[in-house]
Amino acid sequence: MIRQHQLWLRYGLAALAALVAFGLLSALQNSFEDRTFTMIYVPVIVFAAFEGGAGPALFVTILCIGISTFFLGWDLFAKPANLIDISVFAVLGPVLGYIGNRLFRETEEARYQHAQLQSILDTVPEAMIVIDDHGLMRLFSSAAERLFGWSATEVIGKNVSLLMPSPYRQEHDSYLHRYLGTGERRIIGIGRIVVGERKDGSTFPMELAVGEAQVGSEKFFTGFIRDLTERRSQERRMQELQSELVHVSRLTAMGEMASSLAHELNQPLSAITSYLRGAATLLRSEQVDRKRIGEALDRSSEQALRAGDIIKRLREFVAKGETQHALENPATLLEEAAALALVGAREQGVRVSLRCDRDLPDIIVDKIQIQQVALNLIRNAVEAMETTSRRDLTIDARRDGEFASFSVADTGAGINPEIAQHLFQPFVTSKANGMGVGLSICRTIIEAHGGRITARPNEGGGTVFEFTLPFAEPEVG
Amino acid sequence: MAEKTVIHVIDDDAAMRDSLAFLLDVNGFQPEVFESSAAFLAKTAGGAPACVVSDIRMPGMNGIELVRKLKSDGIPCPVILITGHGDVALAVEAMKAGAVDFIEKPFDDAILLGSIRSALEAGPSNQGDSAARATAQARLAELSPRERDVLQGLVAGKINKVIAHELNISPRTVEVYRANLMAKTGARSVSELMRVALAAGL
Repeated sequence: MIRQHQLWLRYGLAALAALVAFGLLSALQNSFEDRTFTMIYVPVIVFAAFEGGAGPALFVTILCIGISTFFLGWDLFAKPANLIDISVFAVLGPVLGYIGNRLFRETEEARYQHAQLQSILDTVPEAMIVIDDHGLMRLFSSAAERLFGWSATEVIGKNVSLLMPSPYRQEHDSYLHRYLGTGERRIIGIGRIVVGERKDGSTFPMELAVGEAQVGSEKFFTGFIRDLTERRSQERRMQELQSELVHVSRLTAMGEMASSLAHELNQPLSAITSYLRGAATLLRSEQVDRKRIGEALDRSSEQALRAGDIIKRLREFVAKGETQHALENPATLLEEAAALALVGAREQGVRVSLRCDRDLPDIIVDKIQIQQVALNLIRNAVEAMETTSRRDLTIDARRDGEFASFSVADTGAGINPEIAQHLFQPFVTSKANGMGVGLSICRTIIEAHGGRITARPNEGGGTVFEFTLPFAEPEVG
Repeated sequence: MAEKTVIHVIDDDAAMRDSLAFLLDVNGFQPEVFESSAAFLAKTAGGAPACVVSDIRMPGMNGIELVRKLKSDGIPCPVILITGHGDVALAVEAMKAGAVDFIEKPFDDAILLGSIRSALEAGPSNQGDSAARATAQARLAELSPRERDVLQGLVAGKINKVIAHELNISPRTVEVYRANLMAKTGARSVSELMRVALAAGL
């Protein structure tokens, strides 16, 4: 229906334009007498071609020739000047129509593509931001408006670092500069978990994927951003539950293991008892058979060693869990954990400085477990500063010989020296409602990875927790 | 020198076999060791052994199955079962199957030797003897009706919670009754208590 309607409209408009030309010519008829005035048709055809395309243009061309015939009659073809004029017009009309038609189609297509792009931008669930090579925002999707609280008109043309908390805000330009200079990709095509800042200053963890495009000499970067707040808080809860579960299941498995090992332990213990009791019986007899007593004692000590082996096996089981180790970058690992752990921390007035040496070699770790440790330490630190006025949190990753050293320093109340001695032992806590298992699990995890975890007082008050993890390939001096 | 009594020892653990053999040997018995019920049955086909000391948990035929097998074959041989995994249910099962005793590892030699001697004294024909029954019943004479109820529950292989629920008392009270049972009957272990209760025909 609409197409049909548009068809009538297109031809109708063309006819109307021809009618106007006809009216005009009627008014000016006396001035021209026996001459054609084809120039006046050009705007009509151009109009018809632009508005309606080739069909209406051709239609109008025929109409216009009709109009000239109407006014001039046979003169139109008898006079050579008029004949040339009208012939040129007869050729020019369709040519103009063709050009107009192309433009018409291209405009339609461009409009269609623009509408399509706009609808994509409006509906894509992830926020999308396009920046140029100066870091200035060129495009800001509706989802981005919702996510960051800025409207597109407010931010377009401004630097994208507006959407980041410090220290990234100050450093983003240098990241961009470095990429343009070296071509070294740290985020493009990789995707990372980073922190974003909303208009109101609150921060949130987000997943950022960046792609790049080159148009002429200009480079554009398109960033897709997914808000992880909700997903992360669920995931964090899951992780918490999971770590509890891992712990509980480890305990259960240990219980089962202990039960079967206890049974196994009974074998050597029974044997030892029998040998020793037998030997004692022999000692009490009139003729002491020293050789047999000696043999019995030797065998009972063998059995005691066997019992020791069984206990050793139990200890090995406790120390080693089933884990999935992979090569990880220390800085990325810590930044991701920090992004998660610091949700809401800035709102509590905690000033965070994150200093990660990005050039550290990889470490071989179970990422989830190590992030759990970092998360635990960071959240503890934030919690420790709830009651203090100075709230500075310093998180860093750096090299310490053949180890990557991670530290989390707070300016909280510090730890009572009495508790500090037993800090990493199970069921020791300084929290009002703590279980005292977190740090002991941290220690188990770190030590299982071949590292160390320590705590020491922070120079300006508070506590520094530090853990180390060996690099994947220790460099040969 | 008087002929030594042959005691058959069945255990899949070499150290257990060797140490038991040593203990029995120095105490004047002649041990014969087997690493499985099958090996024991093959060797002793026909004759009735004087006494068997067997582990419960073994690959192949376990100790309790061995007791049942001997019983169904009509071989009147006292079997003392030992286990590293002592629990009431297992003790009850062992005693019901017809084992003369149920000893938990690790054990004192006096307990094992005492058990072997009393099994030998009683002899195969005396099993289920009315005298033994009378002795057992005498040990249970002092029990209160409630304590008897708890004992019955234990013999039926029920756990404390189930007994408590059935008697409409708390599990804690069941524990108190169990302690009383041990004290009044003079039983040193739950397995001994089970043996007494079963001997008394409870």
